[in-house]
Amino acid sequence: MGARQASKQATRERVLAAARDLFEEIGYEATTIRMVAQRAEVSVGSVFTSFSGKAELLSQVMQDRLDALYAELEQMARHLRGSTADRLRSVMAVHYGFETRRVRLFVVYIGASFVWETGQTVIPLGRNARLRAMLADILRAGIERGEVRPDADIDTFVDTVLAAYMWNYRLAPQEGADAQAMIAVMDRQIGLLFDGVAARPA
Amino acid sequence: MNHQSINPLPDQAAGMTRRTLAKMHTRQRLLGAARRLFTSRGYDAATIRDIASEADLSTGAVFASFSDKADLFNEVIIADCESLFQAMSNVAEGASVAETLLALLGLGYSLHQDQLPLTQAALGFSWVRDQKHEARYRRVAKLVLNRLAEVLTAGVERGELSSELDVPLTCEMLLDSYLCNYRKAIFDGWDTATLRARLQDQIGVLLAGYRAAA
Repeated sequence: MGARQASKQATRERVLAAARDLFEEIGYEATTIRMVAQRAEVSVGSVFTSFSGKAELLSQVMQDRLDALYAELEQMARHLRGSTADRLRSVMAVHYGFETRRVRLFVVYIGASFVWETGQTVIPLGRNARLRAMLADILRAGIERGEVRPDADIDTFVDTVLAAYMWNYRLAPQEGADAQAMIAVMDRQIGLLFDGVAARPA
Repeated sequence: MNHQSINPLPDQAAGMTRRTLAKMHTRQRLLGAARRLFTSRGYDAATIRDIASEADLSTGAVFASFSDKADLFNEVIIADCESLFQAMSNVAEGASVAETLLALLGLGYSLHQDQLPLTQAALGFSWVRDQKHEARYRRVAKLVLNRLAEVLTAGVERGELSSELDVPLTCEMLLDSYLCNYRKAIFDGWDTATLRARLQDQIGVLLAGYRAAA
């Protein structure tokens, strides 16, 4: 990478780190591009060279975190053991463990994602695609192992898990819940849902 | 209904002083104006000044009833939640728990379909509002959750659902799915019928493990 490219990359990293910290500290509404530029020690103009606005900044901050999260998940997926329900629980537990390291940021992200206009250069709150596929795969493997009913509505099951997964994050601002607390709730929710798809004993 | 309504209905107005009634009417006017402007302009662009003007009142009148814009917005959301709860009380028991639950929550989709920008802003706001506003909202949301719990409990008592059913957990998950579906309306243009169909499937998977043995 040429010196100019490297410098541009470094600026981008600083801007994203500044944005991430500000969003986490004061939330989405209060953060301005000017503040981000100031924190990153760059000009407002150079922020706008790489990012169309606040929405794209937050979206990119979260997208960059995904790489780290999925590295952890891929590691863990190799060693998934236990019942189908427990495998689902493990995948969700990794998510909570990861996101709660910056829980305020994730809560800010969920909130902001509702008010983004379609058409803005944002990556929608759809990490669901990879997570969705992972959960569906575990369920399908469960069918093959005879733990899950062959007629199980996998798509709706996954939808419902993801809705509960997301909404559990409200426990952080509301009750100061940590990863353990949220994982405990998710475990019960997965159990409840799994009762509906468990194969009948032969 | 035997709950203490936060916004008294007109027929409860008898017995209130003229001053209290006047204050109540001012509040209703402001909430109506706020709802209109938050819907048409979004949360950021709607100002207290514009809302006061829309209601034909002074900004002083706004601050007499509400501490700031966030407070006003929270009260608009709460008023909507109360309306939903009141509308729910007119829904008759369906042939099954699933049918009744769909009728109740589907009402929410119908009531919000013409004010999607407001719902969008409300959902975003729900993630960042302060403790005080959150506590106030939760008190009203509990009314809706309790209504859902009543339906589930009745189903258990009737023998339609197993007594193993975790009623409070199921209610929360029903609400989670109901709220999450709004993302489809907001970003993918799903209409009320499509939202209901999806919710119907979600109700199905939530109850699937607890249908009492025939």
